[in-house]
Amino acid sequence: MHYVRAIRRLAGVATVLVSGTALTQAAEISFLTHWSPDTVAMLDAAIAKYGETHKDDTITVRAVPFGDLLTTLRTSGGGAGGATIAGIYDAWLPDLAKDKLVAPVPAEMATAVTANWPAGVVSAATAGGSLYGIPNEIDVYALNYNKRLFAAAGITEPPKTWEEFLADAEKLTDKSKGQQGFGLINSWAAGVLHPFASLLVSNGGDLVVDGKPVLDSKQAKETFELYEKLITSGFSDPAMATADANTTGPFLDNFVSGKTGMIIMANWWESALKAGMGDAFADIATAPIPVGPSGDKAHSISYSWMTVVNAQASAEEQAAAWSFLDWLNGPESGPNGASAMGEILMSMGILPSRTSDATAFGDRLSGDAFLAGYTGPLPDAKPFPVVLGGQEFSESLQQTLEALQFGQVTAAEAQTNAQTDAAEILERNAK
Amino acid sequence: MLRTQNRSAIGMLAPATGLIGVFVLLPMALTVWLAFQDWSTQTGFETARFIGVDNFLAIFGPGSVGRDFKAALVNTAIYTVLSVLIIVPLSVALGLLVHQKIAPGGIVLRTVLFSTYMVPMIAVALVWSKLYSPTEGPINQMLGWIGIGAQTWLSSPKTALVSLVLLNVWQQVGYFTVLAVAGLTQIPPVLYEAARVDGASAWRQFHAITLPLLGNTLLFSAVIGVINAVQVFEPVALITQGGPVNSTNVLTYHIRRVGIERAQGGLGSAMAVTLMLALIVAITALFAVARSRENRT
Repeated sequence: MHYVRAIRRLAGVATVLVSGTALTQAAEISFLTHWSPDTVAMLDAAIAKYGETHKDDTITVRAVPFGDLLTTLRTSGGGAGGATIAGIYDAWLPDLAKDKLVAPVPAEMATAVTANWPAGVVSAATAGGSLYGIPNEIDVYALNYNKRLFAAAGITEPPKTWEEFLADAEKLTDKSKGQQGFGLINSWAAGVLHPFASLLVSNGGDLVVDGKPVLDSKQAKETFELYEKLITSGFSDPAMATADANTTGPFLDNFVSGKTGMIIMANWWESALKAGMGDAFADIATAPIPVGPSGDKAHSISYSWMTVVNAQASAEEQAAAWSFLDWLNGPESGPNGASAMGEILMSMGILPSRTSDATAFGDRLSGDAFLAGYTGPLPDAKPFPVVLGGQEFSESLQQTLEALQFGQVTAAEAQTNAQTDAAEILERNAK
Repeated sequence: MLRTQNRSAIGMLAPATGLIGVFVLLPMALTVWLAFQDWSTQTGFETARFIGVDNFLAIFGPGSVGRDFKAALVNTAIYTVLSVLIIVPLSVALGLLVHQKIAPGGIVLRTVLFSTYMVPMIAVALVWSKLYSPTEGPINQMLGWIGIGAQTWLSSPKTALVSLVLLNVWQQVGYFTVLAVAGLTQIPPVLYEAARVDGASAWRQFHAITLPLLGNTLLFSAVIGVINAVQVFEPVALITQGGPVNSTNVLTYHIRRVGIERAQGGLGSAMAVTLMLALIVAITALFAVARSRENRT
């Protein structure tokens, strides 16, 4: 018995020594992101600052277009050359966790994350009861409109209801100028889905409840009909709606060049608008999503991003990655109690989700009229559903909505197709 | 003696056949095996579970998986047929222009045509996505100068696939023109001289001499054209993402979406096997048509 206890003690000491060695060993880690070169430069600067106190670790950044991010993660994630850290969209987490591509957050850090981030955001970074990522950004949708076009059309304030929304879209539509009232998006799954989902929740509906699609609801029917009305009335021109792999393209060009009166888009869009519009960005304002006939108040949808660590990376690499992420997202790495990650996100017009970041950037958030239009609706935003097969579900609904945009199906057919496909996809992926 | 010769032949062939076996045949056999499994591409092969022909039933079935696959198959077929039907005759026409000695500039034309083939697809895709822009694109602006209204190009499911075909033609036609020129140089000039002495018109010379003697070149061009077109991926991934309404979702892009993005390795493999079989059938049919024409002449 005495020997057994001694062996156990020795084993315990050995474990601590080994783990300690792992934590202190030099590691070469990589960070996969879809950020633009300017933002990557800020991340590089943060890495350099971190390197002053962690001289043994080498961190490199690899940036790919948003459209290639999931594929890159899938193709290289499981191999030795896969990124150690990756920024991911919350809808991808259940599938990545199921395939054991991402490592759970170490217990101590998980406790800190739970204490320092809003519960909803922590929930979106959790799969099967385990926390897998450190949340960073939160995105919410709002109506963006061009004040100059509104004034020219004699509209004094943004629409609050769908009725006003349609009336304004009609006034803003001028085919002789190639101008549309409301801009839809196609060829980009999230770009198609999120505005639709925002209008749906603002009409009192949902996409998915308890893992089951509820696109057969009255609220969904009215939302499909709203899209049909926008198209058949000519208030939205699907030929002006195309996006490319970098989530830019004609739909962005048309809004930037003043040929689209209104669009529903997330807060991260601010940097793209500023880059495209220059001084004319002052013409752009935000407003809550108009309320549908079955809705009670303005709602929107939100989604979050997080940084995850490759489960296939070595113990040394994982330890170095978590250490860096702890610092990057902590209150010591940025100015005035903000995190370096928060600073990076704010540069893009993205809302940081850490509670202390929201406080540290309080003045900037309230002083930026564009962003203030997003922080207001945030408390009433519903998280976009995070389910197994989420990507396939999104692409399927995207296809149905695009078919509706181009008049290939009626609103009723679109609703039936969307519900049938979603039920089959979610059921199959849940197995 | 014979046995020694056999051993020596096997020894000399082994490195090449071994490499082909490891890097070509083995992956193909693995893909065929995976087509009958339920398997996530993110897990090891040991997790694959045999499910018979379920993957094939799904990709040809009425569900969303089958509908998307069949649409991608049709898109690929349309893209391939249109590309080959435009590129091969156009390359012959341009080859005749380059090959002729009547007017100067043949070499310059050949250089200009071939240069498009050397431009990387990433650059081609970026430039053409802007050229095709419906509101601000130069192509629509130029069409406007001659009174033709703005075209939707990549922004409509009715025109997006054809727009990608035109892009493909623009990039590939130079390469096929060089092939056509190579074929034309093989035709003995004496045949044309004899035809002219007999009073044959230019069209008659083309129909009775050029076209039949270019048969092998045309067959080779058609086979390469089909293989290139079936493998189209970059312009779809870089410009259209398969849209709008999946109108440009070709098989290679769809297999990547299913097999990699969604990690449905079994389904993706079944699609890849079907694509391989379709390609084999198409190429065999091309050879059969060529052989029957040869037999008739």
